[in-house]
Amino acid sequence: MLLREVEYARPGTVEEAISLLAGHEGARALAGGQTLVNVMKARAASPDVLVDLADLEELRGIGFSSEGLLELGAMVTYAQLTASSEVEVARPILGEVSATIGDVQVRNRGTIGGNVCVADPTNHLPPLFAALGATFTIRGADGERTVPAEDFFVGVYVTAVEEGELLTKVSVPPSSGAGDGFAGLTIGVHGTYIANAAASVSDEGARVVLGCVAATPVRATAMEERLAGSDFSQESVRAAAVGLGTELDPPSDVHGSADFRRHVAEVSAVRAVLQASASGKGS
Amino acid sequence: MAAPAARRAISVELNGEQVELEVPARRLLVHFIRDDLGLTGTHVGCDTGNCGACTVRLNGEPVKSCMLLAVQADGATIATVEGLAADGELTPLQRAFNEHHALQCGYCTPGMLMSATALLERNPSPSEEDVRYALQGNICRCTGYVNIVEAVMAAGEGR
Amino acid sequence: MTVVEETTTLKKGFVGQSIPRKEDKRLVQGLGTFFDDVRRHGMGYVHFVRSPYAHAKIVSIDVSKALELDGVYGTITGDEVAIQTDPFFEMSVEPGGNIKDYALAVGRVRHMGEPVAAVCAATRELARDAADLIEVEYDPLAVLVDAEDSLRDEVVLHDDAGSNVVWSGVFDWGDVDTALAEADHVVKIERLHFHRFSSTPLECAGALVEYDKGTGEWTLHCNHQMPGVGAIWMAPALRVGIDKLRFVTQDIGGGFGNKICLHPQYVVLCLMARKLGRPVQWTEWRTDQHTANAHGNERTFLDVEVGVMADGTMTGFKVRALDDCGAFPRYEPLGCIIWAQVTPGMYGWRNIRVDFTQVCTNKSPVSPNRGYSRMQHLWLTERIVDIVAAELGFDPVELRKKNYVKVEQMPYETPNGCVYDSGDYAAALDIALDLVDYGSIDERRKDAEARGKLLGFGIGSTLDSGTNNFGQSTLLNPELQFSGNNEAASVKLDIFGEVVVTLGTVPQGQGHETTAAQVVADIIGCSPEQVNVRRGHDTWFNSHAGFSGTYASQFAFTGLGAVKGAAELLRAEMVQLAAAVLQAPEEAIELADGMARVKDGPEEAALPFMALGAIVNANNAFLPPDFNPTLNHRYVCRPYFGMVDTEKKTGQLTLTYATQIHAAVVEVDPETGEVEIVDYAAVDDCGVRINPQIVEGQVHGATAHAIGAALSEHFVYDEEGTLLTSNFYDYHVPHAMDMPPLKTGAMESPSPVAPLGAKGMGEGGGGGIHCLCAAIQDALSSAGKPLVTTSCNPPHRVWAMLQDPEATRRVEVMSK
Repeated sequence: MLLREVEYARPGTVEEAISLLAGHEGARALAGGQTLVNVMKARAASPDVLVDLADLEELRGIGFSSEGLLELGAMVTYAQLTASSEVEVARPILGEVSATIGDVQVRNRGTIGGNVCVADPTNHLPPLFAALGATFTIRGADGERTVPAEDFFVGVYVTAVEEGELLTKVSVPPSSGAGDGFAGLTIGVHGTYIANAAASVSDEGARVVLGCVAATPVRATAMEERLAGSDFSQESVRAAAVGLGTELDPPSDVHGSADFRRHVAEVSAVRAVLQASASGKGS
Repeated sequence: MAAPAARRAISVELNGEQVELEVPARRLLVHFIRDDLGLTGTHVGCDTGNCGACTVRLNGEPVKSCMLLAVQADGATIATVEGLAADGELTPLQRAFNEHHALQCGYCTPGMLMSATALLERNPSPSEEDVRYALQGNICRCTGYVNIVEAVMAAGEGR
Repeated sequence: MTVVEETTTLKKGFVGQSIPRKEDKRLVQGLGTFFDDVRRHGMGYVHFVRSPYAHAKIVSIDVSKALELDGVYGTITGDEVAIQTDPFFEMSVEPGGNIKDYALAVGRVRHMGEPVAAVCAATRELARDAADLIEVEYDPLAVLVDAEDSLRDEVVLHDDAGSNVVWSGVFDWGDVDTALAEADHVVKIERLHFHRFSSTPLECAGALVEYDKGTGEWTLHCNHQMPGVGAIWMAPALRVGIDKLRFVTQDIGGGFGNKICLHPQYVVLCLMARKLGRPVQWTEWRTDQHTANAHGNERTFLDVEVGVMADGTMTGFKVRALDDCGAFPRYEPLGCIIWAQVTPGMYGWRNIRVDFTQVCTNKSPVSPNRGYSRMQHLWLTERIVDIVAAELGFDPVELRKKNYVKVEQMPYETPNGCVYDSGDYAAALDIALDLVDYGSIDERRKDAEARGKLLGFGIGSTLDSGTNNFGQSTLLNPELQFSGNNEAASVKLDIFGEVVVTLGTVPQGQGHETTAAQVVADIIGCSPEQVNVRRGHDTWFNSHAGFSGTYASQFAFTGLGAVKGAAELLRAEMVQLAAAVLQAPEEAIELADGMARVKDGPEEAALPFMALGAIVNANNAFLPPDFNPTLNHRYVCRPYFGMVDTEKKTGQLTLTYATQIHAAVVEVDPETGEVEIVDYAAVDDCGVRINPQIVEGQVHGATAHAIGAALSEHFVYDEEGTLLTSNFYDYHVPHAMDMPPLKTGAMESPSPVAPLGAKGMGEGGGGGIHCLCAAIQDALSSAGKPLVTTSCNPPHRVWAMLQDPEATRRVEVMSK
């Protein structure tokens, strides 16, 4: 409910931010704060130093790389993502899903960087970015590196971003005719996900990624294989999803047993793929 | 200078007036507004940023002030419910809340008004769906939202 | 959209109009005063240290490190509380009556979140920091989270009681054994369970307490919604007279019954204010409200047996009810008998037996919650009707109409001597059916099926019983010295002609200032704008009585009854005074538009209210010696009940019965278990509506509470007694996008017993829970006929019912 004593710094450049993060043990980056501030209020974690990224304009941009990748600065908010015409043109599913995260107030502050770096298994963007084949650029004192989703998400609340490093941007391939989908079951409208799935269907086949069912997003590779050459009819997609749940070991909690999550994961995968296939054809 | 500090002098423009104060880094914006500045119209209703009773506008955007530190608001403009009625003259939205019985206990009302005011500035004639979407982050336990939605739409159509 | 069927023509002035509320002006400007808005120089902030265990011995508490922290003013622990106070008075007979309940845990903790110590510091943050420095050592004990386990008394929570049973008794009216023997069908239902949830008012509990050393008096700026009872608990515990406690409430952010049992924390604040010599303030955290404030009654119904004739007449039922009141009973023993206000529900059966037991468990204490105890019982009767209908092949609408108490039977005496004052249930049901276009259900069902959804229709009929007879408490404990009810109000005409009203009630959003002004304005002949109703409750207004507060759906009766009584006394005096001054007979005087004047008299034969007030207060020498008008009247509304028969357990337990009939159309997604409400109607009949808009607003709110409870709100515990839904992520309440399109209808069957013909209303009786359970059961009826046996049905539960319908069908039908 109330934070412990903390020190606060607001650097003006990414280099300054990295130097602060590296130079103070127990320092954490403060992005939108929609998770971190609550965590600190509950005293579940109490960093000694908060490095506020608010003034880092470099991290707020939405644009295209020379190779045509959609580049999203880590401090881009959900609201900006939803309102961006670049995103709408290049990869509209991002805006569509972001528009359902929380509510207006949360979307005005919450950032894509925060969403992926928190790496809560129920967050929206990790499975979605994974399905889109996004890559994550991390900068530290030693320089910059870019990692794919499967290497970025390491565990519950753990990513490839080490101490003293910052996620600077997420790069997403443009759709190029691919269709994307996202489906699942939430606790109330626009609430937290109980189980979800993200899918992308293109000429190269399908990518299906499940959220909420493991520490990190799970590629439903068996289903992807069964979808090879599919006509993406309802029957064939359902058939491809059969047994998807049996591979999983999801948590049991107040909102559903492990069995329920297995089942909803399967249903969500089917719906996401059907959505993806329909949107690809439609565009 | 970006050296970390446990206290910081902040400067905010609050309801059109410049305010300067030194605050602990850990102070939540909602407590800065309520306790340090004595503006008690913004309310606290939960611990986890769900209820929206603490909604204010930061640089024009509705935000939940319980999920912001006061120091993060340094250099920003903040609008709270007290800034809506200039000299006691209620805005059309406030009048609509009264006319349509959109409040019972009144605890969620300031947050609702801030979210709805922002909506109407952006979208002067919202549909019912638009209104519910804009108020999704504001919990009410008294009204079932029925009259709140009606009031916002009525204010939007200039009735 | 409102459809009103007027069944009466009563003369109405401002009463009956939806005038906009007086409260709104300050509230829409954020200028309300809620207790946390109140500041006092030198005040300290309090944080409670709470138990992380559901059941444990307290081995030691060390506050020394906390006291060393700069800015900490002091602490208090259970040992000090045990020395300085006496345990709170217990309502129940033995064994529950022997429980020792103190303001802080003494020697033992019995639920997670139970306050163990408190610390006061200069700022909120410091108090929180200091709490981390208080070291408490616990010795964990076995945990009880199930009422049926608790009944076995293998682990006993309260040694003083010697048993976990708080109270038990059998209620037996008519002859249910014969009724079952003679019935054409007997339907047996093994188990139904009503879950734990609450109304989670947006403003949490709290108070700012000041102690005056010179007079030994405390002032509590707080949000206690029933100060009369709060004082009765606190004063003896603090070993002071009741007049040493001044309760001041101003604006309150919702109560719904959840702000009735605040006395333990308030006693701690009183002790600290006295000990530290400064005002102390405590604001409950949301997590603490969910974990440790007040849950609604959790009740399990076992071995239900229902007698049904071939033509659908339901002749009676019997049931074993097991109520789980959590760690401390407090107000809760009343829940053991309050359901009896609505024993037969809406139905005419005359043979009913309820074997009721209440037990303690290591969960949050239970307290009144919107619908308090009647809601649980009405859910039982509605489940019975729908399960009987499903199993015997009756249409749920026809079965209800056949068995409803009929309008011709009103006022209707129930098997246990309660009197349903008025109402036309069948007509209200017809309005609801019309609002949701019941005729098109079959068509909509086919349409939904084509889209892969299961459509269901359900009805929830319910009663909002109001104006309690506290004599009902003698059914619980014949030694209790409580009976009847009362509420007070004062109305005066001030020196400048201002009309000032003070109430004993404690509104938390019900618009009392407005409705009181409407009533006064009509009686004394002015406009509601000219009536100034003081905000909230203040002991020093001296406008309260022993049962003062806002609870149990009774304001329209007792609160406004008191206002009416006081206004009538004032009116009579104003007429008398005007007659004396204007030298006219009293019958010729009329009061209107803020004036007292001679009917059809010359213009000069008139006195503005200001003149009347000035004469009495400042210019009264010319009045004759035997005429002493005060223009200041206090009135106590005392509803008449008669005595309760504690042997037969009969009597008039409550005076008014508002009707609510809810109807819902849902679509279930069979793949996920999600329930979408696609059509919904709530019809309310609370007699004369003083302010229809205010009534309708509360119908909306009660519906939202019920929808939340039916589909997602659930206080769930694990085996260690940890509450798993302690925040608004996991305990999901309806947001704006969760609410369905809501239609309302209204009828007015005036109450023959209420002063204004207006019945209390506002609780809503859980109508939404009943109809959604019915609708879900109907939706799934084509998928193996699972029965809805629990009151909360989130997606995983609905899905489980679809996976294994047989598991829910613990029902047996025996037919001749």
